[in-house]
Amino acid sequence: MAQVPIIRVGEVLIASVQEDLRDQDALDLQVRLGDALEHTTARGVLIDVSVVETVDSFLGRLLNETATGARLLGAQTVVVGIRPAVAITLVELGLELQGVRTALDTDKGLALLRRLIAREDGHGQSRLR
Amino acid sequence: MSESGGRAPIPGGTQIAASQRQVNTIEQQRQTIQELQTPVIQVWDRILALPIVGSLDTARTQEMNEALLQKIVDTGSEIVILDITGVPVVDTAVAKHLLETVAASRLLGAEVLIVGLSTNTALTLVHLGLDLSGVTTRTTMAKGLELAFARLGLEVIRRSRRRVTVAHEPDDN
Repeated sequence: MAQVPIIRVGEVLIASVQEDLRDQDALDLQVRLGDALEHTTARGVLIDVSVVETVDSFLGRLLNETATGARLLGAQTVVVGIRPAVAITLVELGLELQGVRTALDTDKGLALLRRLIAREDGHGQSRLR
Repeated sequence: MSESGGRAPIPGGTQIAASQRQVNTIEQQRQTIQELQTPVIQVWDRILALPIVGSLDTARTQEMNEALLQKIVDTGSEIVILDITGVPVVDTAVAKHLLETVAASRLLGAEVLIVGLSTNTALTLVHLGLDLSGVTTRTTMAKGLELAFARLGLEVIRRSRRRVTVAHEPDDN
């Protein structure tokens, strides 16, 4: 299967998942995202999972780990486009992705990332939680 | 039922018919209740409200979640106000279901505010030892809406008393 493309837009890396992720592809994405964060000045990661229809406990855990790892590398992570059915499954599995920020779509996700990055820089603190 | 000799009149026939009618009535009422129980209301741009009346069981929560999540996607909402004024008793099971709704909505990028908590409910939740640290709660829908506005950067301002006469005067020509 083709690799998940990682696109850099300004300070943000966008990983746009194109089909249901197999375990190996997800692990591969995790490594390449880490690599990209290490070698660029990116401050945010946006993972678009809007086409993903099945998420198991492995993938759920991996998303959490990826976000936590990215934070250690100095970047904020937002997962966007989780489908309603997938959200219900994740909650039923007890995977609430506490460590991950989420948004409805890429547009809102990018806005959230921008706010998070601005807050890290110490701007607009009062407006945000 | 008789096994031979055509159709013999069934002794309890009227009773069976009566109970069949009852079954039908119950089924209809169940349907009505089901339709009534989970209205998702868009109260403002990007704000949804979900007034819950009655108790929450697993089946109902599931239906409610599905309806709510779909509505979040359809309207692009970022805040959901869950009003539990009409929930008589919040026990461990109900609280667990509420937390499921909160978690599932969060995965879609929407924040859930739970409003309509009474003192009793609050104390019950504390006594049950449930972790509600991730949930924002308010006592009334009004306060919840106010908080939702604040989150979205909206402000409600009273219009000044001065009548704006110029703008609305009808043209006499």
